[in-house]
Amino acid sequence: MLLHRRIYQFFIIYCLAVACLFLIKFGLNLSDYVIPGPMDVWHTGIREFTRYFSDVMDTLMVAVIGQVISIFMALLVGITGRRATWFGSFIKVAAYNVQAYPIVAIAPIIFILLGDGIVTRLIIAAMICYFPVLLSVLGIMSEPVNDIEHFYRATGRMRWQLEVKIRAFENLNKLTTVIAGSATLAVAGTIVAEFIAANAGIGYSIRIALYQSDLAKILTALFLIGITLSLYQGVLELTGYLIKKGWATRV
Amino acid sequence: MKPHKKTTISQKMLFFISLAAIIAISGISDTATAAEKVNYRLKWLFNTSVVGDLYADVHQFFAKQDLKVAVKEGGPERDAIRELEMGRAQFGVASADQVIRALSKGAQVVVIAQLFQINPLQWMYRTDKMTINSLADLKGQTLGVTFGGNDEAILRTLLAKASLTEKDVDLFSVRYDYTPFLQKKVNFWPVYRNSQAVFLGAKLRQAGESFDFFIPGDYGVRFVANSVVTSKKMLDTKPETVRKFTVALLQGWQASMNVANNDTAIKTLQKYDKDSTVETLQEQLDITRGLIHPDPNVPIGMIDMAAWKQTEQIMLTQKLIPAPVSVEKVLRPIPKY
Repeated sequence: MLLHRRIYQFFIIYCLAVACLFLIKFGLNLSDYVIPGPMDVWHTGIREFTRYFSDVMDTLMVAVIGQVISIFMALLVGITGRRATWFGSFIKVAAYNVQAYPIVAIAPIIFILLGDGIVTRLIIAAMICYFPVLLSVLGIMSEPVNDIEHFYRATGRMRWQLEVKIRAFENLNKLTTVIAGSATLAVAGTIVAEFIAANAGIGYSIRIALYQSDLAKILTALFLIGITLSLYQGVLELTGYLIKKGWATRV
Repeated sequence: MKPHKKTTISQKMLFFISLAAIIAISGISDTATAAEKVNYRLKWLFNTSVVGDLYADVHQFFAKQDLKVAVKEGGPERDAIRELEMGRAQFGVASADQVIRALSKGAQVVVIAQLFQINPLQWMYRTDKMTINSLADLKGQTLGVTFGGNDEAILRTLLAKASLTEKDVDLFSVRYDYTPFLQKKVNFWPVYRNSQAVFLGAKLRQAGESFDFFIPGDYGVRFVANSVVTSKKMLDTKPETVRKFTVALLQGWQASMNVANNDTAIKTLQKYDKDSTVETLQEQLDITRGLIHPDPNVPIGMIDMAAWKQTEQIMLTQKLIPAPVSVEKVLRPIPKY
């Protein structure tokens, strides 16, 4: 149901955007060089589909791994820094500051140090989606659920694992939304990395298409990125829903 | 009270008369000096490659032709031909492949001057690592190339000329940073001769390394670089503006390339390129002269018809365009300046 909704919503947005472009094209009588015609986009889509689909899968694979790493890191740091201690405050300050640096300025340094292989793409993807996830985790984990936690504290049965579980369960919707949202950031991060310096992925193909001033190829790439991302986010939301259902049954 | 009131009325009258006079005078002077405003979008950032464009602007060559030109910086995300069509610019600089691609997609664009007579896109290579006396010497080498860029089209043409296939060489994907070249991972690297090559050359000289340049033109490949373009509509409706712009621009280029104006050209560049040292700018300017005006008998801006046709043929052969575009039909002769 979630997947289905995600896909048709994406189709509506994509079609509206492309229709707007065509309206501008025909309204201002622009050539296919500025905005490609519908048939040009269609033929390019058919011609490039297989190659671009494979590129998108390559990008998605890196983005998923990068996202998993960043979620794991964010949970680890978020849980450690959830208390109002000096370390907790230090983590928050670091997170806010590092997030302020534009990745396009940092990415070339990473590429110079680590080359243009998969590791660099992974690091950049993880870097882009790590901090927003961390901030959300910190927010969720540092907010007590007094109604429930009070009982365990009063009876002396509260342990840190239980505290984390309570807070995670009570905020599972928020966490799911943040994780699904961070998928967008992970994909965007990977594409930025590929655009700047990698040798593979859809970001690399978009860069070549831009060199060739081929907007039809870019529209094809955007369609495939959008549909794949919608599917992935749908899967994440579904997973979150199933986890919550499973936990609720166990409780 | 009465005299005071009189004074106030006469003061008011004086104020309105003065105001009317100011408006009238400003209107007259505005009409007298009304210069036509046009936008000129460059291909790249302000650097030595656009010295003539800046010179024409700063030293009033446009103003002398009654034009008020806004010279706008280019960049990787800018496309002058698109801006011509959208009406945001009236003139622009585009590479030949951009022009040919645009024509292939139905854009109505015309070329009014060719700035570079020799393409600044060349390859720098370490002479202690490779010797290039003929195209066949490229066999077995790792060659830097920007996939999707002009250099890919040029390199593939050169390889085809030498009957070499992609299997005979190792093509290395080039990016913004020069680390693979500096680390000697690749010893054959595409550069813009009058900009990047100056910085890289300095680094190599510092490290005591010897290098040379591989010039595609030496092997018969003359892929045209930057040219000045306008829309067909502009040329049809305002031919006099196009003529005046071209004359002013080429006069600016001619003056900037004149050795007698060397110091003025450097000072002009310094206003825009604050990061480069005078020595760097001087070296870049010296090299630029050789690319813009290599033959004293050929005027600056002359359109090399044969080179344009060859560029179209290269793009056709490499399937970068689906069908011929007859590029010669949009090349306009330069006016006398």
